[in-house]
Amino acid sequence: MLKIVNLQKKYTTDEVETTALNGISFEIKPGEFVAMMGPSGCGKSTLLNIIGLLDNPNSGEFWFLDKEVSRSSERQRADLRKHHIGFVFQSFNLIDELTVQENIELPLIYQKLSGQEIKERVNEAMEQMQIAHRRNHFPQQLSGGQQQRVAIARAVVSKPALLLADEPTGNLDSAHGREVMELLSALNEAGTTVVMVTHSPSDADYAHRIIRLLDGQIVTESITERHAARVLSPEF
Amino acid sequence: MIKNYLKIAWRNLLRQKAYSAINIIGLATGISACLLIFLFVQHELSYEQHFAKADRTYRVVNDLIVDDEIEKASLTTGGLAPALKADYPEVETAVRLVNADKQAVSVSDDKVFYLTNSYFVDSNFFSVFNYKFLSGDPVTALAAPLSMVLTQATAEKLFGSAAAAQGQLVKIQGESFKVTGVLAPSGPSHLTPDFFASMSSLGNEFMQMMEGEWGNTNTYTYVVLRNSSQAASLQAKMGDFFLKRVKPAYDQMQSTGRVDYKIQPLLDIHLTNDWLYELSPSGNQSYIFIFSAVAIFVLLIASINYMNLATARSAKRAKEVGLRKVVGAHRSQLVSQFLGESLVITLLAVLLALALVELLLPTFNGLTNKSIGSSYLLNPVFGLTLLGIILLIGLVAGSYPAFFLSGFKPVDVLKSDKAPRGSGATLRKGLVILQFTISLVLIIGTVVVYSQMDFLKKADLGFNKEQVAVIDIPSGDTTLTAKLPLIKSEMLANPHVTKVSASAQIPGQGSGVLIFLVERNNAMVEKTMNMMTVDYDFLDLMGIKLKAGRNFSPDMGTDQSSGFIINEAAANLLGWKEAVGKRIGFSDTTSGKVIGVVKDFNYTSLHDKIAPVVLRVRPRTSGYLLARLSADNFDEALAHVKSTWARFDPNRPIDLTFLDESFNAQYQSEEKMLKVFGYFSILTIIIACMGLFGLTSFMAEQRTREIGIRKVLGSSVLGIVMLLTKDFAVLVIIAIVLASPLAWYGMQQWLQEFAYRVPLSPWLFVSAGMVALIIAVATVSVQAAKAALLNPIKALRSE
Repeated sequence: MLKIVNLQKKYTTDEVETTALNGISFEIKPGEFVAMMGPSGCGKSTLLNIIGLLDNPNSGEFWFLDKEVSRSSERQRADLRKHHIGFVFQSFNLIDELTVQENIELPLIYQKLSGQEIKERVNEAMEQMQIAHRRNHFPQQLSGGQQQRVAIARAVVSKPALLLADEPTGNLDSAHGREVMELLSALNEAGTTVVMVTHSPSDADYAHRIIRLLDGQIVTESITERHAARVLSPEF
Repeated sequence: MIKNYLKIAWRNLLRQKAYSAINIIGLATGISACLLIFLFVQHELSYEQHFAKADRTYRVVNDLIVDDEIEKASLTTGGLAPALKADYPEVETAVRLVNADKQAVSVSDDKVFYLTNSYFVDSNFFSVFNYKFLSGDPVTALAAPLSMVLTQATAEKLFGSAAAAQGQLVKIQGESFKVTGVLAPSGPSHLTPDFFASMSSLGNEFMQMMEGEWGNTNTYTYVVLRNSSQAASLQAKMGDFFLKRVKPAYDQMQSTGRVDYKIQPLLDIHLTNDWLYELSPSGNQSYIFIFSAVAIFVLLIASINYMNLATARSAKRAKEVGLRKVVGAHRSQLVSQFLGESLVITLLAVLLALALVELLLPTFNGLTNKSIGSSYLLNPVFGLTLLGIILLIGLVAGSYPAFFLSGFKPVDVLKSDKAPRGSGATLRKGLVILQFTISLVLIIGTVVVYSQMDFLKKADLGFNKEQVAVIDIPSGDTTLTAKLPLIKSEMLANPHVTKVSASAQIPGQGSGVLIFLVERNNAMVEKTMNMMTVDYDFLDLMGIKLKAGRNFSPDMGTDQSSGFIINEAAANLLGWKEAVGKRIGFSDTTSGKVIGVVKDFNYTSLHDKIAPVVLRVRPRTSGYLLARLSADNFDEALAHVKSTWARFDPNRPIDLTFLDESFNAQYQSEEKMLKVFGYFSILTIIIACMGLFGLTSFMAEQRTREIGIRKVLGSSVLGIVMLLTKDFAVLVIIAIVLASPLAWYGMQQWLQEFAYRVPLSPWLFVSAGMVALIIAVATVSVQAAKAALLNPIKALRSE
């Protein structure tokens, strides 16, 4: 799915140069569920932004779907995002002026699909996230858990190969957080590659693999216990 | 996709009502001002356009040059038209018009009306000016003597309807004219007829005098060229016309004068101010520029509001921009979305503006003396202008916010839910300065125009124009003028009528100049000067002071035949230190002597330097009857004057004005400018303040946390208000510094139009600046106080 080789990212302000990522290399295979953990400022969100093609590295290689994309133009990256990547944010980032249904159809509008196809796909996503009954509500009228389900529906409505989640349960209580994690897990099982940034060890436990960062470098990579158990179980 | 954009645009409009209202109402006001001025300018530029041959019709005008003095006159001699037609093959048709001014006309014994613009024209006049006839035949209508063609308005006034007028008789100065045609209303023109009568009605004697005497200028001459491209060559060929045709006649009169003939395009007449004796007040090209500039400024100020508010509230849209980019929107798509939104807002503003224009048109017509109807809506040029405005504001004002907002990076805006710091703040400040600079230039302009008008009205003119009733004596009524001494004494029977006099001219009416023969170095030379014919009481009534010599006196029998009084300006022009006793006259046969010199008085408006004036005395002059009324019993005195006049002239309605009003009428175009400046400066400051109001509320919102912290740390409400107000006050002060020299320069130019003008005191600028500053600070303070009064806990929680 994606391969990162010796990635460097530096931020320069007037006087200070901060190294956010320092020689990172790893690979994620299709169908994987990877969690990235580490203390605040360790570079995990920067890494997620680069993977999501929202930011550019200073050096190193980034292969996405067998293409080197670290030097792609904004237009090419927008096209890749549009067709292959879905995003889920901690703060949901729904557009307040649009209803649930309109928020979810947004990515499809930019794909220029037919009205009928948009309708079908949005209905499907809403059913899947169990928010169809709220289709005409505005974001402010929903609970946090419902808002995040809408955000996930929006992220998956275009059936992306890669789903990126930046602390998806950070703004939710534990019950709603679990609900969201179950949804992400189900999506992964259905074939979507998921990369998630999180502080929560219990959320990270839903992943197959945990990449731990510190000061812009990978310190450990480990298989989660749950995944290890599943891999070792007779049904796997 | 467009549906999605429209939906968001519409919901944003509804959600942020105050912001939407500021934008839409501000823009609508700006656009309606712009449209009204567009209609005015278009009307000004449309003069004569409706005449089919307008592009190859010219008026012949002339420079009358006597002793280096040039009089530029639109009146020519009656012989000019036939001579031009005969001499130059380029001339297809030449027609003449004699303006008989105001006439009392009657359709029956008891019905007398005054018609102000009585035109006597050649029978082929309508082949040049192709008015549309409601009835009658343009070719034959004026073929016979004593025939007349009425305008629809005149026909309705005299006969109740246009249809009833055809074939009827109208009595003018004892002669019966037959109505041979009625004209439909036509487009704007320098010709503003009440009726056209056949030139031949003026009689053979007049025609012979008119055509035979080259020194007599009482005719307007128009020529139609076969081809408009021949104008320059004809003008060149006309260079020797004077020598060939006129000089012999001048030599016979022993005149040393000279005449330069020029052809002036018909289409240029209305907006040219160079020629004396125009048939109707000219337009003013510089006012067209000034008005257009003002319209553009108002629109600019409203557009700036849109740009400033759109970028100031960018934080609100930042998340949406980031999100759209995350899901794959290209920047160009976002640019079109935001441009679309500004087009929607502009479109709404235009709709509101059209309603405003319809509402304000009557007032605007009154303001500009126009009669623009609603038919402008069908005018394709108006439609195109409207479309232009929509595209211009929608795209130009919309493009900055569009490019600004669409430039946000998702990484920057999605986490913080805020626009990047410092976004567009400097440009916004610059635009606010621009808005206030424009507003201030207009405010200062208004104050200067107002002061100048006040100065003009209160200036010492050298005569007292207050409390003087002026009755227009119908021309040609010798029975009435014969009774003038009796009328005067009857009027004076009322103690509140303090003085009564008659004169052929009054100050402010500008009768034009005459050629005099005056003594210089023991010889007589020609000089052009204004002449007034007055009676014995004129100087006394007007309060014009004698400087040397004596006033006219009925006891001096020679005063009527050979006595002249001149003003100081005339004495200076003629180089006479001791003027009394000098020889002066019209020709060798009617020469006389200067018996007195009066102090200078403003015979014309204060636009001009005091002109040389020569007065002669005639106790029974036609023209005007002047009555000075006592201020204490003004109404009673006026009633007495009116009733006395009515006894002597029972059949005609009295035509009474006041000297101060008719004199001040010379400043009509300045009054117009004052009103337009006044209204528009108020408008610009209101729109600019609406923008400030919106900006402050967004700034206060952005600084809610800072305000909270300051309050927690002990800042007072006043302290917070000062903090928020200070930034804007600085911008207005910068605007004052920028606007003052601009306004000073502009108004200095404008004041050049006046020979007598008010000084541009620094206080004018300081006071205008203070007004703007106070208004701006008041606007900002309201919003700032609202923010400052917020509970600090709430303020801190909002982050």
